[in-house]
Amino acid sequence: MSDNKSQIALEVNDITKVFATKAGVIEALRGISFVINRGEFVSIVGPSGSGKSTLLNIIGALDRPTSGKVYIDGIDIFSLRDGDIAAMRNKLIGFIFQSFNLINRSTVQKNVELPAIISDMRKQERKRRALLLLESLGVADKARLKTSSLSGGQQQRVAIARALINNPTMVLADEPTGNLDTKTGNEVFDLLKILSSKFRRNIILVTHNQELAKKTDRIIYIKDGIIEKEVLN
Amino acid sequence: MKISEIFKLSLEAMRERKARSALTIIMVLAGCGLMIALNGISAGQSEFIKKQLNTLAPNILFVNNGQRSFRGGGDTSQTPSIVINSIVVDRIKSLPYVSDVVPGYQAQVTLDAAGNVITSSVIATDPQKIYLVDPSLELIPGSSIQPNNPSAIIFGDNVANPPGKSTPFVTLGQTIRATYNYVDQDTGKQQQISKSFVVTGIIAPTGNNQLDRAVIINTASGDSLFNKGGKFDQMIVAANSADYVPAVQNEITTLYGTNIGITTPKAILEARERFTSGNNSFIQNVAFIALFVGAIGIVTTLYNAVNERIAEIGTIKAIGATRLFILLMFLFEALMIGLIGSTLGVMSGMVGAYALSSIGGPRPGIGGGGGIGFQRPIAPEFIPNDIIDVWILSVVLSVIAGLYPAWKASGLSPVLALKR
Repeated sequence: MSDNKSQIALEVNDITKVFATKAGVIEALRGISFVINRGEFVSIVGPSGSGKSTLLNIIGALDRPTSGKVYIDGIDIFSLRDGDIAAMRNKLIGFIFQSFNLINRSTVQKNVELPAIISDMRKQERKRRALLLLESLGVADKARLKTSSLSGGQQQRVAIARALINNPTMVLADEPTGNLDTKTGNEVFDLLKILSSKFRRNIILVTHNQELAKKTDRIIYIKDGIIEKEVLN
Repeated sequence: MKISEIFKLSLEAMRERKARSALTIIMVLAGCGLMIALNGISAGQSEFIKKQLNTLAPNILFVNNGQRSFRGGGDTSQTPSIVINSIVVDRIKSLPYVSDVVPGYQAQVTLDAAGNVITSSVIATDPQKIYLVDPSLELIPGSSIQPNNPSAIIFGDNVANPPGKSTPFVTLGQTIRATYNYVDQDTGKQQQISKSFVVTGIIAPTGNNQLDRAVIINTASGDSLFNKGGKFDQMIVAANSADYVPAVQNEITTLYGTNIGITTPKAILEARERFTSGNNSFIQNVAFIALFVGAIGIVTTLYNAVNERIAEIGTIKAIGATRLFILLMFLFEALMIGLIGSTLGVMSGMVGAYALSSIGGPRPGIGGGGGIGFQRPIAPEFIPNDIIDVWILSVVLSVIAGLYPAWKASGLSPVLALKR
């Protein structure tokens, strides 16, 4: 049992999220529960409005559930104060967004270093890590360029590098291939796959793309705010 | 949390919107500069007045025939005239604590010096008594006071050597022609009297505007030139000492009531200080409004910046930035705008003060006289503590202005921000 517990990277326990809108009350998530083991690459798949992005935001502590708990490495993240939640996000979680969400006025290297700047990493160390990551992702030669001069695929690589600089346990990717062509999207996905298989990072991928989802370790299907089924690949 | 890194991020953001940042800085610069300039001009004028008064002997009173006077206590009412003649002079001379009374005539006269013509106020009085007004007064070498010479004329430095002119108006020994225009009371027609004078003395610069613009002839010459018939325009009354000035003023007022005008350097200073403090309040309010407008500019700029950068704020929060991190990012922008704007504002304010004060015009003198002559601009005075206070106020206002947008940015929900 204790071995089991130590294998669990993420535990989502009876999560409910209700939004009060002018149109009325919307139950975006209802009683969501699942666990993710260390090193697992899990995809969350569902139609638009199914609640998958809401679930990802709650797992990433960007949003609070109406009820339920989320444990990352055994810590109830919503029992923490706001400052501690931010620190946890900075150190344990890496985010990859559909629109890359890079800061266009900053250089590629500065974008990658940003989470390390927030975590107060020494300048030399964060530079070293940033350049190493950019090199392993094949965009080291773009380090001094502004991100707006990069292609979509290159920008997403930079975003991946940013997500990894603080060596997080978990990477949350919300439709990372959504704005990319098929070839580039596959390349980005392959990078995530290597992160999971070779470097034992937990990756949670939200996607519409069934083909990509089938290449992950497990698929969680969500529909109308509840888990429809889980499929092991 | 490395403050220097947050500072660098703020600087980057400012550089991205150079034009907007520059315009906001200019707003702060204008407010701060205006405050510095107005303070400097006001302080310069106060210092000028003080210097004027300090050159005058503290034991003198200027008495005139009941025009608007500085009595102190805020009384600047118009009073009916009294005829100042030898009887009045002797009467005042006999009052206790009075050491001397020097009557005089005064009129606007056209002076022609070898074809150069000016209009100046000329005082006809005992020239030996000018030391009563300023005991430290000196004449340039070669000058002499000739009280009994009806053709002797003495010039103040600003008239003899007009500021900004390469050649003097008059030199020692030069003959000049004085022409007085008046209306004949019998015929009602414009008349002229002219007389030639020889320049026997030039007063060395005193720092007192009135003395430096003085033109003096003796009493008898004045009486005949101005056709005064023994009716003096003014008197200088010397008290035994400065301590007796109020007593002498009292005695004269008791004797003649409000029919006579009395001015003392102290009363002028008091009136000036009342005017100055009121004027200063007004100036400070105007300048503060300008600063406030600059602060509103900062609020607008940063508010727009927050709205434009909502997605960026969401991203930075997602990667672990705290509320404080975001707050400082925007506050530092406001601080930098304030620092740059205020520093440039101080410099431009000082330059502006000199520029504004050199756009001069006729300035009234102190000491009961008048006249139009060549005026030196009044230099502004900059008190270091005042400058520091304005600089700090400007910077603090800028930071306060940045608080609301910074607070708004820091409080944004990352989820909602990322949706933008």
